[in-house]
Amino acid sequence: MSKEFKYIGKSVPRVDAVGKVTGQTRFITDEYLDRMIYAYPFYSDIPFGKITAIDISPAASQPGFLGVLSASDIPGQNQVGVIIEDQPLFADPLVRFIGDSIGIVVAETESAARQAARLVNIQYEEFNPIFSINDSKAATGNFIHDSNVACQHQVDKGDINTGFAAADQIIEADFKTQFQEHYYLEPQGCIAIPEENGGITIHGSIQCIYYVQKAVARVLGIPQSVVKVIQTPIGGAFGGKEDIPSELCARAALAAVKFNRPVKMVYNRRDDVQLTSKRHPFQIHFKVGVSNAGKLLAAHIRLEENSGAYATLSTVVSYRSSIHAMGPYVIPNIKVRSTAYYTNLPTTGAFRGFGSPQATFGHERMMDIIADHLGIDPVELRLKNVLRPGDLTQTAQKLEVSVGAEETITSVRDRSSWNSLRQNNQNDRRYLTGIGIAASHYGNCLGAAGWALDGAGVKIQIRRDGSVGLAYGLADMGQGALTVITQMAADALGINSQRISVLAPNTDLVPDSGPGVASRNVVMTGNAIRDAAAKLEPILKTAAAEMLGTDAESIKIENDLIFVDDVKKSDFNILADYLFVGNSQMDMLGWWHVPALEYDPVKGIGEAYFTYSYATHVAKVRVDRLTGLVFVDKIWAAHDIGKAINPAGLEGQVEGGTTQGIGWALTEQFKFDRGRVLTDNLSTYLLPTIADVGEVETILVENPEPLGPWGAKGIGEPAIIPTAAAIANAVSHAIGVQMNEIPLTPEKVLDAIEGRTH
Amino acid sequence: MLYVENVETFDLSVTINGMEIKRTVPTHLRLLDFLRDDLRLTGAKEVCGEGECGACTVIMDGETVNSCLILAVEAHGTNIQTIEGVTPAEGLTDLQQAFIDKHSVQCGYCIPGMILSAEQVQCDCENPDRETVKQGLAGNICRCTGYKKILDAVEKDGE
Ligand code: FES
Ligand code: FES
Repeated sequence: MSKEFKYIGKSVPRVDAVGKVTGQTRFITDEYLDRMIYAYPFYSDIPFGKITAIDISPAASQPGFLGVLSASDIPGQNQVGVIIEDQPLFADPLVRFIGDSIGIVVAETESAARQAARLVNIQYEEFNPIFSINDSKAATGNFIHDSNVACQHQVDKGDINTGFAAADQIIEADFKTQFQEHYYLEPQGCIAIPEENGGITIHGSIQCIYYVQKAVARVLGIPQSVVKVIQTPIGGAFGGKEDIPSELCARAALAAVKFNRPVKMVYNRRDDVQLTSKRHPFQIHFKVGVSNAGKLLAAHIRLEENSGAYATLSTVVSYRSSIHAMGPYVIPNIKVRSTAYYTNLPTTGAFRGFGSPQATFGHERMMDIIADHLGIDPVELRLKNVLRPGDLTQTAQKLEVSVGAEETITSVRDRSSWNSLRQNNQNDRRYLTGIGIAASHYGNCLGAAGWALDGAGVKIQIRRDGSVGLAYGLADMGQGALTVITQMAADALGINSQRISVLAPNTDLVPDSGPGVASRNVVMTGNAIRDAAAKLEPILKTAAAEMLGTDAESIKIENDLIFVDDVKKSDFNILADYLFVGNSQMDMLGWWHVPALEYDPVKGIGEAYFTYSYATHVAKVRVDRLTGLVFVDKIWAAHDIGKAINPAGLEGQVEGGTTQGIGWALTEQFKFDRGRVLTDNLSTYLLPTIADVGEVETILVENPEPLGPWGAKGIGEPAIIPTAAAIANAVSHAIGVQMNEIPLTPEKVLDAIEGRTH
Repeated sequence: MLYVENVETFDLSVTINGMEIKRTVPTHLRLLDFLRDDLRLTGAKEVCGEGECGACTVIMDGETVNSCLILAVEAHGTNIQTIEGVTPAEGLTDLQQAFIDKHSVQCGYCIPGMILSAEQVQCDCENPDRETVKQGLAGNICRCTGYKKILDAVEKDGE
């Protein structure tokens, strides 16, 4: 691992930056095609009920109106549920949330489609809606689906009763986290183009091109092989473009087939907020038994999630939260129940962290409450229990290598001068100051529950002129995947990175590589690159040897040059042409899948994920006694990422994720009025601005993972996971009240300071 | 463009990126839609459509404005620069280069608006400090970067 690479480990600039700073990058919203028409959904404006009549005539009299499509126009199956088949493409006859799409209007222009969609008149028989987890749980009839439970996961290890009996103290607490809207800046959008062969081509802002391929084929009733899905540059996603694009693309595809013209569909912002998925709100109960010395002995944890109207990705969010429930600590006896409940609200699904930030909010608030009870410093308590190499996780998975949890804790402790800040606050008449810590882990890739989808490929093709095309199957949603892929491929092949063009993900180019999620791009694509390069190497070396009259063993390809016994003899351009005229194979498919995981889903025991990333954040806050406003002055963020392929890009991920965490902790408050989102744009849903953010200091801990490419693990999601918990811990420290519910709005903070309870 | 019958129209004359443009436009057309849909100057983006995000920023008579809040007819007789016009024919502005060098770009959707606002900050103040930059960019939302590297770029370039 100590080898110096030309690109890997260097902060090379983004390969796609020029188009982005000049405005030339063409996002889906920027595409205009000849003969293109527009589709727009019309949707339920009641939270729960049954459609009794649809009157399209007011819409049909609009200029530019072309037609309406709804459930009866679907040639294939009216089903887009990504894991559980509970979600129709068009509601029929039940509607389960405000935003449940009933059909689409197709029109000559975008504004005509949007206007007409608003004019479709729907009559309903209304049912009693359910909005909260507790009401959903308590319901004895009128279920939203067959039952109100979307899914459940559990972990049972050891015997909690024995553990509690041995404990000196048993401590219980409840926690709550709220919805979070992705608010990617680029709205959801796609264009569907009908093809002569009866197939369809889709372009769009899509994290998971293979999900879209499957959904479109299913809805249209055509083979997947004639559905081509191409990813356009993604203007932010954060999980929000995992499953939702399947709905948009299938709807646009229906219209494209019906009218035999390209169809564009882009959501306006208010509808994007009302119709698409969000982060699951959790309510969490902890009961933990500890020894007086601070050793965790037993935990009983209940996680309850508001799934909204359909299951979408709740199954895997619930799985992930159950596995991460007690955090990066050793716990001999544990029982976890994680349950997602249906409600008549917009769906909740994938959002950066995927249940981990919520689980972490629970265990890290709990650790501080335990520390407080025992009179132990929060850092000390964590260090007494943290997972180290050789330890067993809460699912009894033995961790051998690349376990950097402890180092992330000690490095933020030292960099933040924890001891002095924790003990000496700088309170004045206006401000209370505090400091808080939160540690976390994150299982890489899809884990045991998603193992069947956890393989991915790349195709590397060398051209006669020495240029190299690289196709991959996941996504660059802004995080810089194109750049790190270029870096890894250039070093793997020993060539200059300028030769490499990374092609837009396209279902025709690479076999189904699963979803572009779970921070899996570097690991999956990187390992597939290694595989492709290893397969190309003998071809390149044999040809070079033949060309230079030597044997393959004495050939080395490095820095774009061909060496024989370390003497420079030729270059990659000449070799590429030689390969071509020799009729050699010049392309290779590289493939990698996560090794088989031994896991018992009934007990929740075994290898839940093949490896974990670790992160610890320390937050330093100031709380205004008069207004209740919280200012995050600084966050120290230590991340064990195995190996940083591009340190500056990685810092960017940490800074961005941390800032989203600040928003989730403090200002991003979601409000509904009987299922209608009130906070449906930026004037009411408050994202952090440049004026709100303090400093973020990233500390990289490189603890190489042998199965990661060049030692790397995922970073995209770990970046956000501990932030909100660290902030809540810091605010609790500042005001001397345990703050167990986010967002920490000024009202809540002021009430806590002044001793009012909610 | 809105598809409505009997719309009132207006003969608009405006200078955009140095070119004199004359078009007959509906009076209710937003400047943002005129730039994007009619002129295909798509660097300005629509994100919130209510003046809160800055992604639709353009420069009008030397001041940054949110083009989603302005009607095309209000631009009559003005001089407008979009990101396409600010970018030199060859190469990049110093600020655009600084955004690349400082790794300030992620998904890029906010970036054209951010760069125009940042150009304005530097135009108003030759050597802006961090607080000045923060004030100048407070109307531009970025959901990806956490702003730190954007601050670095605008400050560094101002040094
Ligand atoms: S789109 Fe104009 S300010 Fe947001
Ligand atoms: S770079 Fe994505 S919103 Fe700013």
